[in-house]
Amino acid sequence: MEVTREIYWNIGHGVVLSMYLLSFAAVAVLLWGFWKRLPLYRIGRPLTRTDRYEERVRRLIDDVIGQEKVARVRDGGLPHNLFFWGFMVLFVGTLLVMLQADFFTPLMGVNLLSGEFYKAFSLILDLAGLVVLVMLAALFIRRYFIKPEGLDTKDEDFIIHTLLFSIIVTGFLIEGARMAATEIIQNPALANFSPIGKLVAQLFMGFDEPSIRSSHKVFWWIHFALVLGFFCAIPYTKLRHIVTTSANSFFAPLEPKGSIDTINMEDETAEQFGAAKITDLTWKDIFDADACTTCKRCQDRCPAYATEKPLSPMKLIKQIGEIAETTPEAGLCETVTEEVLWSCTTCRACQDICPANNEHVNKILEMRRNLTLMEGSFPGDEVRTAISNIEVNANPFGLAFAGRAEWAAGLDVAVMAENSDVDILYFVGCYASFDRRNRQIAESFIKICNAAGIKVGILGKEEKCCGEPARKLGNEYLYQTMAQENIELIKGYNVKKIVTTCPHCFNTLARDYRDLGLEMPVEHYTTYLERLLKNGSLSLEAKPFQLTYHDSCYLGRYMDIIAAPRYLLAKSGGRISEMEQSGYDSFCCGAGGGRILAEEKIGTKISEKRVAMALETGAPTLVSNCPFCLTMFEDGIKTGGGEGRIVVRDLAEIVAERLENATFTQSRR
Amino acid sequence: MKLLVCVKQVPDMESRFKPDSRGVWFSETDLAWRMNEYDEYAVEEAVKLREQLGESCELTVLSIGPDRVGEVIKKALAMGADRAVHVQDLDAAGKDPWQIASIIAGYAKEQSYDIIFTGMQSQDRGSAQVGVLVAELLGFTCATTLVGFAFADGVITAKRELEGGLKGVAKLQIPAVVTCQLGLNIPRYPTLPNIMKAKRKEIAAIPVTELLKEEPLAATTSFHPPAKKGGGVVLEGDVGELVEKVIAILKDKTAVLR
Amino acid sequence: MKTLLIGEYREGRLLESTYELLGFAQALGADSSLFIVAREDQLPAFAGKLYLADAAAAGEYNPDLHRELIFQAVEQEQPDYIVFLHSSYGWDLAPRVAAKLKIAQVSEISAITAGEFEVGCCNAKMRRSVKPATEKAVLTIQAGAFPVLQPGGSPQIRKLTASLSSNLEFVGYEPAEAKDVDLAKAEVIVTAGRGIGKKENVPVIHALAKALGGELGASRPVVDAGWVEHSHQVGTTGQTVSPKLYIACGVSGAIQHLAGMKKSDFIIAINKDKDAPIGEVADVLVVADVMQFVPAMTAKLGR
Repeated sequence: MEVTREIYWNIGHGVVLSMYLLSFAAVAVLLWGFWKRLPLYRIGRPLTRTDRYEERVRRLIDDVIGQEKVARVRDGGLPHNLFFWGFMVLFVGTLLVMLQADFFTPLMGVNLLSGEFYKAFSLILDLAGLVVLVMLAALFIRRYFIKPEGLDTKDEDFIIHTLLFSIIVTGFLIEGARMAATEIIQNPALANFSPIGKLVAQLFMGFDEPSIRSSHKVFWWIHFALVLGFFCAIPYTKLRHIVTTSANSFFAPLEPKGSIDTINMEDETAEQFGAAKITDLTWKDIFDADACTTCKRCQDRCPAYATEKPLSPMKLIKQIGEIAETTPEAGLCETVTEEVLWSCTTCRACQDICPANNEHVNKILEMRRNLTLMEGSFPGDEVRTAISNIEVNANPFGLAFAGRAEWAAGLDVAVMAENSDVDILYFVGCYASFDRRNRQIAESFIKICNAAGIKVGILGKEEKCCGEPARKLGNEYLYQTMAQENIELIKGYNVKKIVTTCPHCFNTLARDYRDLGLEMPVEHYTTYLERLLKNGSLSLEAKPFQLTYHDSCYLGRYMDIIAAPRYLLAKSGGRISEMEQSGYDSFCCGAGGGRILAEEKIGTKISEKRVAMALETGAPTLVSNCPFCLTMFEDGIKTGGGEGRIVVRDLAEIVAERLENATFTQSRR
Repeated sequence: MKLLVCVKQVPDMESRFKPDSRGVWFSETDLAWRMNEYDEYAVEEAVKLREQLGESCELTVLSIGPDRVGEVIKKALAMGADRAVHVQDLDAAGKDPWQIASIIAGYAKEQSYDIIFTGMQSQDRGSAQVGVLVAELLGFTCATTLVGFAFADGVITAKRELEGGLKGVAKLQIPAVVTCQLGLNIPRYPTLPNIMKAKRKEIAAIPVTELLKEEPLAATTSFHPPAKKGGGVVLEGDVGELVEKVIAILKDKTAVLR
Repeated sequence: MKTLLIGEYREGRLLESTYELLGFAQALGADSSLFIVAREDQLPAFAGKLYLADAAAAGEYNPDLHRELIFQAVEQEQPDYIVFLHSSYGWDLAPRVAAKLKIAQVSEISAITAGEFEVGCCNAKMRRSVKPATEKAVLTIQAGAFPVLQPGGSPQIRKLTASLSSNLEFVGYEPAEAKDVDLAKAEVIVTAGRGIGKKENVPVIHALAKALGGELGASRPVVDAGWVEHSHQVGTTGQTVSPKLYIACGVSGAIQHLAGMKKSDFIIAINKDKDAPIGEVADVLVVADVMQFVPAMTAKLGR
């Protein structure tokens, strides 16, 4: 007996024309829905996101077919992906049936859906249907019974759940009815390849064929109508994410992470800096709202949200869409509110996890630019003072710039103005230069370099704040002023390589300064020391100790440096008890985005929250790699009840204490 | 209405001051410069009045000194002054308040200003004389150390800061000079478009010799750090030990702890 | 050497600070006569010559008229120095007199050394020695820099009158905000300066004050930032205090602050910066982080 089935069984080929017409109509409704939405995106500024085509397509495939980003979070992600892949199989299977019935059979007279292929086809589709159904149930339970914190459930969610559930159920009913009247009787062996269908067929057994046939017909039309409904609903419901979120994988930014538009300060015709109105943002910023699936992963990871501050990255993304739709003339920053905008630490946890490739941080920065450059606004008077200190003394503390290199007195360091014959230029940064606690980082780094026989130079009192906090607060003008002076200075010396101990300086010099003309290798000390260890220039005496390690945002998420510091710790004898949120999922210390200069007036302190996480590991030492983190944790330990239970150290301090050829250092001094 | 605001560029007070070669003022090596704090309040108040009065009003900023004072002039322009006068003087620091006031008055007398704003004193020299001297030289009404300023119908209502939190209110006919004190306002942070516009505003340069005909009335003979108070003890070290030491001193030297 | 001392009178009362002028004249070794615009029942206890203008007619703040009255006194007295307090009255009036006479003015004198006047500059971090180039000079003296000298006796009064139409009209006084604390009577004052970092740290300073049975003081920046109410402000624009013990926590020592507290019997300053001007007046300067030292000291006292 031939292994196949009759397509349009019981329906007849007479439906083909009306079926296609209705299907095309549904697709037309879908396209029309999106077409009508295009003008909304177009009120945004132009932005090219169709270059580097191949790269974008590859990303699209990884994100959509591979569901890589969704898979990063198991809760919600796993059922979504199984559902998605199952649904895709069903969709492709249905397309195949359509092609077979209306192209291969009439035009070529071949039947693909036969024999062993048909057996496999039947089994796969049946199982796919089962997976889809189970995952739908799982997601239903998650949404309506488990109710994860922050998950926003609307009527629409219930309707979509019902629609998808009905499509699958009616599909199985059609199959069951057909099998009850055909396969089960004619080819029971084949029926085994449709196990679910066979099970459903039991419902129809015992009825006479005409009643099975008429119920089959009814289910067929209901199923067809539901599928048409599904297509029509896409642009108008959360189902739109099928298109928009996928499209965003294509439109995703391809620049290095953390890239910010460098404003052209020479353009004297410019009247607006930053985003005052929705029209100052790009079309992509508006599109992001449609791509957002409100999966709340960003919100779950946002340090501001987690400490009762008014910012939710998810709500911000959605709000921008709403503003574009309802009040495009309104003042953007007033609507979003300054409190929300100043709450962000630019830690990038939101953007890193977003399965929709939404860009949260730069939207906030564009609005901050408007606040700072157009309105002269600050998150607080203490920030106003710090900014004015940077302007005058090139450091946020307002200390005399001439004292910048005082920490280096007595150390084996060259000041470039006096001797620029060095292996590396150490860009010290304000905290390690002026802050008593952080000076130990600088001293440790010099000690390590001395031990490795590396000649280190510093800019001394000529060095200026890299401008990072100012830039992240929106003050592009001050940032560029600082940056240009630093760049001119560095270019004046014969510098081969720059090393920083501050991840903020590192990002700024390595990435942001590129736009302003500094093209030279810049490295954070963690990767630099890793190499010195690996090539044997440096050797450490491992002294066992227990610790927990904090990945700073600007080293981990921004720069993908996660392994190197752990390698250094391992070589130092450290046993790491990892915090739950580490690596790419690390939780900010609270100092990024210029917040290091600001008082934390709303909610609990982010640093205390992070210190609490460190305390949970039971490790007596918290190791960080960033002066900002060190400062925040020193504070958080004091105010958060961690004193006597945990101490915070910089990785450089740990390494400096384990130098094997440390005697060499002393002899050189 | 014509308004003038006089600003001085001073070193940041965090700087370490060392006597210059003549030993009568500070050496400029390693100094960071900024606008005199009190003059910032003056600029802000002048700009506010300029905004209140609209286009019929013109605000000029004046500063005396070498090229570096261009920075504070630009800041005042960015804050909202319309035009600027730079009195070029390589040795402004060597002039006494009488001469500085004479330079300003020498310029202002031809200009028929209605109100002149300036700081109550400079942070570096701190003589608190120039504003009043300018008023006297020009025959203007004058009030000092303002923590409140209002202008309506040709009359200034000035709130002066007196001792102990008391304030004195006076009404001044224009033309007038007012000197500004901390607490009068919070100076605005110049916006970027205004910083850019400021680059195109006119800065008239006038050599100081054209304006100054006066000899100094006082001379600085020495610039030096203050003598340390005799008997002062400096304690450093571990916090726990410091506490012990301080409590011991309190028991010994005061009747507060028994 | 002759000095004409310009006394102060406000809200119907002679100001005690007037006697600092006599202290200065003594330090200078000069004969003094006084000038004051006051009421006759509020005259200084002073046995010398007193040029008196009636406050009812001349007003308490009428600088143009007061300048003319002082000019009359100067004409009669021919002093070498006309001495004001460096106060809201003095710094406002002194340059007017100097300009009218076209003589030098030396502002805010804190000491006399070798016949030259010492004045503070660069936010009290440095000093200048100043010498008038004119025969006569106007001087203003720093509040609290010279001892109060109350010789007693009754002055020989020389009445002055003048009339002048002025473009300045004094409207009246606006009182300071109500006080919830009287620092002037406190035996111990522990003051919070900008060095405490933030508003949240104020209670830490307050706790030390309480442990010592004293009151909380504040420097001007701390009050301006809204961390502490104005009634706690120490300094020339707040209250001038002289407790048995004054502890300055994170106060760098702006001149206005120093003038308001340097007469305290015993002064302890806690500051990170060894070179802070507060060190000049402190009997003990503790070089430490305020937020580490103060809680430790409070804890120790509590035990």
